[in-house]
Amino acid sequence: MIYMNILVVKNLTKKFKKFVAVDNISFSLREGEILGLLGPNGAGKTTTIQMLLGVLLPTSGEVRVFDKELHAHKEEILEKVNFSSTYTDLPWRLSVFENLHFLSYLYDIKNRKERIKKVSNIFRLEKLLSQPISELSSGQITRVNLAKAFLNFPKILFLDEPTASLDPDTAKYVRDFLLSERKNFNMSIVWTSHNMAEVEEVCDRVIFINKGRLIADDTPSKLAKTIEVSHVELNVSDGLKRTIEMCGKDSIHYRLEGRNIVVDLKEKEIPDFLKKLMDKGVYYTEISINKPSLEDYFLEVVKQKR
Amino acid sequence: MKLHRLIAINLRFFYNLRRSYDRLSDVFYWPALDLFIWGLTSSFFVSIAPEFPNLIFSILAGQILWIFLWRGQYEISVNLLEDLWNRNLINIFVSPLKFSEWIAALVIHGILKAFISFLFAALFAFFLYKTNIFSFGFSMIPFMILLIMTGWTIGFFVAALILRYGTKVQTLAWTLGGLFGPFSAIYYPVSILPDWGRFIAAFVPSSYVFEGMREVINKGQLNTHLLLVSFILNLIYLILALFFLSRSFRKVLEKGLVKVY
Repeated sequence: MIYMNILVVKNLTKKFKKFVAVDNISFSLREGEILGLLGPNGAGKTTTIQMLLGVLLPTSGEVRVFDKELHAHKEEILEKVNFSSTYTDLPWRLSVFENLHFLSYLYDIKNRKERIKKVSNIFRLEKLLSQPISELSSGQITRVNLAKAFLNFPKILFLDEPTASLDPDTAKYVRDFLLSERKNFNMSIVWTSHNMAEVEEVCDRVIFINKGRLIADDTPSKLAKTIEVSHVELNVSDGLKRTIEMCGKDSIHYRLEGRNIVVDLKEKEIPDFLKKLMDKGVYYTEISINKPSLEDYFLEVVKQKR
Repeated sequence: MKLHRLIAINLRFFYNLRRSYDRLSDVFYWPALDLFIWGLTSSFFVSIAPEFPNLIFSILAGQILWIFLWRGQYEISVNLLEDLWNRNLINIFVSPLKFSEWIAALVIHGILKAFISFLFAALFAFFLYKTNIFSFGFSMIPFMILLIMTGWTIGFFVAALILRYGTKVQTLAWTLGGLFGPFSAIYYPVSILPDWGRFIAAFVPSSYVFEGMREVINKGQLNTHLLLVSFILNLIYLILALFFLSRSFRKVLEKGLVKVY
């Protein structure tokens, strides 16, 4: 269920001397929405998130959260916001419990010990509570960061690569948990990740930033559909050389992976291509047609804008 | 200003104190070692110059009261560094914590640690050298307040520099407070200093405190004029340091908290 805009960004710009890190971007986040914030390294994602969290002053533009101007109502707004990121750490000498304990005071959590127990259970930290952060693996630290982010029942959560250091099982568990939290509490999430499959799975909408500019704002499937090329992968048992010759002659882009050839074709060109293979006596034992994904979109956009 | 946030920051640093031998040695080991050395040194001086029986008390009282200045500045600058080393500053400032609350929390933490260190040092001096720092009575209270004010000023100034220039200037957290030592005339009267030294000492608020302390020891009088001068200087410096710190924090917000290291 999607409601009103709870975060509105208007003409946000950040300049560092002459370098424009974020260039006049505008977007919004709706209540209960999961918004993917994508872009290559150095695109301006972290700068944008920092401005949305109030730890970086914009050069110009406006950020409104819960219909209030961020810097004028920072204290009130940040009580209902949290974040988890790979570019920050928690005090490494303190145990997991001690970290969550002091942070629970910072957010004025009622029934602190109960809440810590609850978030520790959610993120499977019960057995790690007495361990200092310095003794944890990167995956465990990520889980502590996520537990920290959930301490204050946030209405908006900023997650920067939330599953980057997690094993596939835990990453799936975290994704499912976040989706259930969104469903149950109508929480809104701004999610940055380089895992495009993950973004396609969890995000309702994606904004794409490159060189500080917002270049796309749409659903993952619609963005993927802007890429026309599908990848046709064939396991060729007889006629690989003929296939390569045919691709060369017709200027079709391909790559070889052992006996497999992956051919880039527009969807409407696929039947004709397969018929031509048959005419040339090419035999293949397996075929898979991969429709364009968000990753293809990402690669294409980055290539164009380079 | 919300009490729970002040508790939060203090809790964070007390947990750190409990788990860090560095921080524990700051509170107990170094004051004990300093007192041990200065107690023996002053005992030796008295043995060769028995006409100065107050020397041991004067030196040890100076050493013990210096803890207030030292802890006041150290807790502010080193605890800021702790959060920079731990890349934790963002976690703190994406919470509802206000900058003024963070400053207040560091000040409170400095006062608490100064008292822990002070009580430990006072007991140490009492048992080892039969020196009772509490014989100053209530006159000790303005000494403590004025010295910790000087400590905060230095601490805020160092914190402002660290926020602006990052950990490359972190050595100031350990060294700048010490620079005030010779001009504070902790162990000797200001008159011993050379002319240029006396000139500098005139602008150092803590020099008036230690002069005042020696007057209480030698003449049994509390010189309120000295304390007033110290207070006025402290107040001016403290306002300037806080202004500089808030400007530095504003600068940090312009370049991003992530980039401070």
